[in-house]
Amino acid sequence: MSTVNALRHRAEAEASRLPPLLARAEHLAGTVLLGDHGRRRAGLGDDFWQYRPVQMGDSKRMIDHRRSARGDQQFVREREWQIAQSVMLWVDQGASMRFSGQADRGQKIDRARLLALAVAVLLVRGGERVGLTGTTLPPRRGNNQIFRLAQAFTQDDAQDYAPPEHRAMIPHARAVFLSDFLGDMEPVRTALTKAADRGVRGVLLQVLDPDEEVFPYQGRTIFHSVGGGLRHETLKAGDLRARYQDRLAARKDELQALCRLTGWHLGLHHTGDSAQSALLWLYRALDGGTR
Amino acid sequence: MTVIAGIGFTAPWLLLGLLALPVLWLLLRAVPPAPRRVAFPGVSLLLGLRDDDSISDRTPWWLLLLRMLAVAAAIIGLAGPVLNPRTGQGGSGPLLFVLDGSWAGADDWPKRIAVLDTQLEQAARDGRPVAVLNLTAPQPVAFQPASALRARLPGLLPAPWQPDTQAGLDAISASDRTFDSHWLGDGLEYAGRADLLQALQARGAVTVFQSDQPVLGLRPAGFQDGAVQLTALRAGQTTAQTETLLAMGPDPSGTTRVLARAELTFDAGADQAQAALALPSELRARVTRFVVDGTRSAGAVTLSDDSLRRREVALITGQRQREGLELLSPLHYLTQVLSPTAEFVQGTILEVVPANPDVIVLADVVALGDGERAALTDWIERGGLLLRFAGPRMAASPLGREAEDPLLPVRLRGGGRTVGGAMSWGEAKTLAPFPETSPFYGLQPRDEVTVSSQVLAQPDPDLADRVIAALSDGTPLVTRKPLGLGQVVLFHVTADAEWSSLPLSGLFVEMLDRLAVSSAAKTPQAVALEGTTWRPLRVLDAFGQLRDAGTLPGVAGADLISAPLGPRLPPGVYETENRRIARNVLGPDAALIPANWPGSVPLRGFDLAPQQAIGGLLLALALLLLMADIIAALALGGRLPMRQKGLAVLLLALAWPAVPSHAQDADRFALDATSELALAHVLTGDARIDATAQAGLLGLSDTLYFRTTVEPSQPIGVDLERDELAFFPLLYWPITPDQPQPSDAAYARLNAYLRSGGMILFDTRDGDIARAGGQGPNGRALQRLAAPLDIPPLEVMPDDHVLTRTFYLLQDAPGRHAARDIWVEAAPPDAEQIEGMPFRNLNDGVTPVVIGGNDWASAWAIDRDGAAMYPVGRGFAGERQRELAYRFGVNLIMHVLTGNYKSDQVHVPALLDRLGQ
Repeated sequence: MSTVNALRHRAEAEASRLPPLLARAEHLAGTVLLGDHGRRRAGLGDDFWQYRPVQMGDSKRMIDHRRSARGDQQFVREREWQIAQSVMLWVDQGASMRFSGQADRGQKIDRARLLALAVAVLLVRGGERVGLTGTTLPPRRGNNQIFRLAQAFTQDDAQDYAPPEHRAMIPHARAVFLSDFLGDMEPVRTALTKAADRGVRGVLLQVLDPDEEVFPYQGRTIFHSVGGGLRHETLKAGDLRARYQDRLAARKDELQALCRLTGWHLGLHHTGDSAQSALLWLYRALDGGTR
Repeated sequence: MTVIAGIGFTAPWLLLGLLALPVLWLLLRAVPPAPRRVAFPGVSLLLGLRDDDSISDRTPWWLLLLRMLAVAAAIIGLAGPVLNPRTGQGGSGPLLFVLDGSWAGADDWPKRIAVLDTQLEQAARDGRPVAVLNLTAPQPVAFQPASALRARLPGLLPAPWQPDTQAGLDAISASDRTFDSHWLGDGLEYAGRADLLQALQARGAVTVFQSDQPVLGLRPAGFQDGAVQLTALRAGQTTAQTETLLAMGPDPSGTTRVLARAELTFDAGADQAQAALALPSELRARVTRFVVDGTRSAGAVTLSDDSLRRREVALITGQRQREGLELLSPLHYLTQVLSPTAEFVQGTILEVVPANPDVIVLADVVALGDGERAALTDWIERGGLLLRFAGPRMAASPLGREAEDPLLPVRLRGGGRTVGGAMSWGEAKTLAPFPETSPFYGLQPRDEVTVSSQVLAQPDPDLADRVIAALSDGTPLVTRKPLGLGQVVLFHVTADAEWSSLPLSGLFVEMLDRLAVSSAAKTPQAVALEGTTWRPLRVLDAFGQLRDAGTLPGVAGADLISAPLGPRLPPGVYETENRRIARNVLGPDAALIPANWPGSVPLRGFDLAPQQAIGGLLLALALLLLMADIIAALALGGRLPMRQKGLAVLLLALAWPAVPSHAQDADRFALDATSELALAHVLTGDARIDATAQAGLLGLSDTLYFRTTVEPSQPIGVDLERDELAFFPLLYWPITPDQPQPSDAAYARLNAYLRSGGMILFDTRDGDIARAGGQGPNGRALQRLAAPLDIPPLEVMPDDHVLTRTFYLLQDAPGRHAARDIWVEAAPPDAEQIEGMPFRNLNDGVTPVVIGGNDWASAWAIDRDGAAMYPVGRGFAGERQRELAYRFGVNLIMHVLTGNYKSDQVHVPALLDRLGQ
C-alpha cells in the first residue's frame, strides 16, 4: 500500500505544479476551458449564460428579480449547459517498460504511470471523469478514483510487450495511451481503429529511454528483452546503430500515420527529459481534442 | 648468478618461460573478447539485423602487445634480475690494498673508504687474506682476514702530506709473500711512484682504482702590487671552471668568518688560475687562511703568516732633515731595509703613538719631553718595540748616566769610544759570534762589519743578560731589556754608516728581521732561521681543518723551511717569540701533475653503482600493464562506465603533476604569520622533534593566552630556506646532530632577523647529559649551525638578568631538564651594581639568542586534549618544574616583546627617592 501512497503522492506533487484545469485554461488561451466544458448553449450548469424575457410556461420562481426590478419586463436568468467528459487511460505495464538505460534514470514505466496519474489528478480536479480502458475501472469522478487508479498502476504485467486494452470503450469519450510502442504494432492498430469507430479520440504518448534513441552499445553484445523473451546477438553492436535508428524512425512514422488516420495525437517523451513538459503537452493535446 | 647482457639473474631458467609467449599470442588472438549481455527493449527492432562482417571482433594487436609485455615483465621479474651484478673479481691468494692516503684524496675520502669496504667485503667472500698499506703512514704489511680489517676502516684517515714511497717500498720488501695489489690512487704524481709500482708488479697483478674527481690546490699567498696574489692549481680536469676563493679570518668580535671572496677562473686547458685580492691592510692582517670554497682538502687551503702582515714602523730622528743630504740621513738605511715590508708612520712621537705602530725607531733622539716619555712608556708596556740607535747626541748627553733610563736598556758611559780611527789606537772591531740566548743566534757574523765608534754600557750586574750582540772585545753592540709587554732595544752605533759598517751589511737586514722589525715578504731562507726553534701553533689535517697543535714538538727553523712535510712536520702555523711562519701543503713553486699510469696497469674508476634487484620493479610493471589491460578491455567491450570525455579528464588529472604555487604559498604563509602573533620553531627535518616543538609552542601559547595579554595563535613551523622570518618575535630552534646546514641565503635572513630584534632560543635538548654548548653531539651541531650567525659575546645568564623578572620572578630556567647554564648576551663590561639597587642596569635591548639544553619544548608540550605529552621529573616536584618551565617561557616571550622595560622599572623607587629630596 505504501507504494500506492508513494505513487499517488508523487502524482499529486506533479499535478500541484499545474494550476487547476480552468485557471490554467484561462492562462493559456482565455477561452479554452478544460473540464466542465461549456456547450455554448443554455442548459443546466453553474455559469451565467443570458437573460431572456419570461415566456409562457416558466415558473414564477425562475424569474430573476434583481434584473426584473430594473424595468417593467420580467426576465429569466439562463445558465450555460455543462457536461463532464470521460477520459480513459491505458498505461503499458509490460516488462519492456521496466527499462532504464542508466542507474540514476527512472524506468520508463515509472514515468508513464506518473504522467498518467498526474493527468488523472488534473482531470478529476477539473471535474472530468477518469478511468481505465477495459472493464476494471470505468470512468468516475472524485478523489477516490485517483486512489483507485494509483492502485491499478501498481500491477506489473509479466509479458514483454503488452497490447493496448481496447475493450469497453465508451463512445465519444477521450483516451490516453502511454507506451513505448516497441512491441507488435498490430494490436495498436486494432485498438486505434476500434476507438476511431466508436468516436473515441485521444492521445498516444510514446515514452522512450534516451538509450533507446542513441543506442550507445559497442562490441560483442547479446541483447535480450527485459522479460527475456527475445534475444539477439551481435559481434559489433556499434555497426548496428544506424540501422536500428532507421527502424525506430520507421516505427515512429508508422505511429504517426496511424494517428493521422484515426485523428489521434502522437507525442514522444524521453525519460531523460522533465515530466512537466510532457504533462503540459498531454493537457494541451487533450484540450485540443475537446474543442 | 648468471649474467646476461650486464644483468644478473638469480633464477635464469625461468627465462625459458619467454618461449611460451608466441603460443600465448596465438591463443589470445584466437579467442574473441567475451560478449556482454544487455537488457534492451528495442531488441524487437533489432531482430533480423545481420552483422556486416561475419568474422568476430578480434583482440586488437596493441592489446595483445600489452598483455605480452605484462607476461614478459612478470617472467623476467620472477627470474630475479639484478642490476650491476657483483661478480667475482677473480684471483686468489693475498690481496694488498695500497692507499695514497694524501690530502689530494681527502675531498672524496668517504667514497674511497666505501670502495675499499666493498672490495674488502668481496675479499672476505672469496676468503682472501688482505692487508692495507697507507703510503702516508706506512706500516709493515701484515695479511689478515678481511673482516678484521673492515672493522678498522673508520680509523683510516688521509694525511696532509705526500706519500712516503721509501717507507712503502720498505714495507713491501719486508713481506716475503706474493700478492695481488689494488692501488687506490689520489690521482697525483709524486716522486717514487713508478718504483713502488714496479715493486708491486714484481709481487703480482696490480689494479689501480682512481677517482675522476679533479684535485685543486692553492699555492701560498704572496703580496705584490698592493694586492694579495693567489695561484690555484688543478689536475684532472681541463674544461673551463670557476671556483670561489675565500679569505677567512677573525672578525672584530673574534668569530672566524669569510673576510673576502675572489673568483678563480681556470681557462679551458689551463692548470693554473690567478686571483688578486686587494684588501685594506687592517683586513689583510686578520686573514688567517685562504680556502677554495667547497673543497675538503688541505691542499686547497693556504695559511697566511706574517708575510701578509705589514708592520707599521714610525721613524723619528733627532736631526732635522736637510735637503740634498739623503745619504747622510740617519734613517736612510733603515728606510731602505724596511720599505719593502713595512708601512711608515710619519709624525712626532705624540702623533704616532696613538696610531699604535708596531715599532718606533728613535735614531739618536735624546731630548724627550715628559709627555713623550710617558706616552712611549705606556705604549711599550702595551707591547710596543722601541728601537733606538746611538749617535753623537746620545754620546754627548747625560742621558742614562747616573741611573738607568727607563727608555734605555742599559746605563751608558759618558763620551763613548772610538777605535781604529786615525786618532786612536787599535783596529775597528768586528762582531763576536752571537750567544745562544740571543735572538740573533744562528746568524753568521760577517767580517765586513766593523765598528769604529760606539757608546759604551756601564758594567752593571744585569748587563750580561741584556746584551744580545757584542763586539769581538766583548763590548756590547746591541742591548735589550723587556718593559711591560714590550721591549727596548738599543743599537750602540748609529743608524747610518758613520760609526760602523753594520747598516751597509746584509746582516743588518737579518738582525732587524729577527727583531721582528721587518717581516719577511718572502719566505725566509733556511739559513736565516738557523738556530731557531719554532713551536707549532695550529696545524692542518688532510681535510683542511685547522686544529690546535696541542703538545706537538717544536721544529728547528731550517727544517721548517726545507724539510718535507711529514708526521714530524705537519702543515700549519709555527711561531717563535713574536714571529709566525706558515708551512703550507703546497710550496710557492708546487705543481699538480696528474698521475700517469702505464698502459699495462688496469685502471678503474670509483664507480660504485650498487647491486640492485629490479625484479620487484618488473613485477610492478607487469601489474601496471595488467591494470591498463583491464581498462583497455573494458573500454573495448564498451563496458567502461565513463564517457570518453570523463575518462580523458581523469587520465589528465592522474598525469598532471602537482605543482604547488610557491608565490601563493608565500602569501598565505605571510598572512597566517601576521594576522595574529604566532610563535615559530625551526623545522629540523626530524618529524618527532618538529612535532614536539609544535606541541611545545602550542602549550606555551595556551599558557600565555590564559595568564597574560599575549594571545598567540597556532604556532608555525618555519623552513629556514623558504620562509620569511621577520614575522616572528621568537624562533625556537631545537638542535639535532644531523640537521642540515642552512644555505648562505638562509643565514643572511637569520642574521637580518637577529639584527632587527628577533630572538632565537637554541635548545640542544641534552641538559641532562651535557652542559649547554658543550661537547655533546648536539652541542657540536649547535656550534656548526650557529657559527655563521652574528651572535654577540655570551655569558651564563646572571642572577639579575632581566629574563628573571619580566613577568614572573624566577631564579632559573628549567625545561624538561634543569641545567643551570643558560647563555644570553653578555652584559656590557661597565655594568655595575648601584648601591641599594637589587639589579644592575643591564644590556639595553633584547638578547638576540638564548642558548640552553633544557629541552623546553618537551616540558611545554601538550597534546590535543591539553594534557602534557612528556613527563617532567617525578611527582609534585616534577609538576613544579613544569610550571617553572612555563613561567620561563612566559618570561621569555615577555622579554622579547617588551625589551628592557622591567630593567627600567627597578629604577623607579630610586628616582622617586631622589625627587623627594
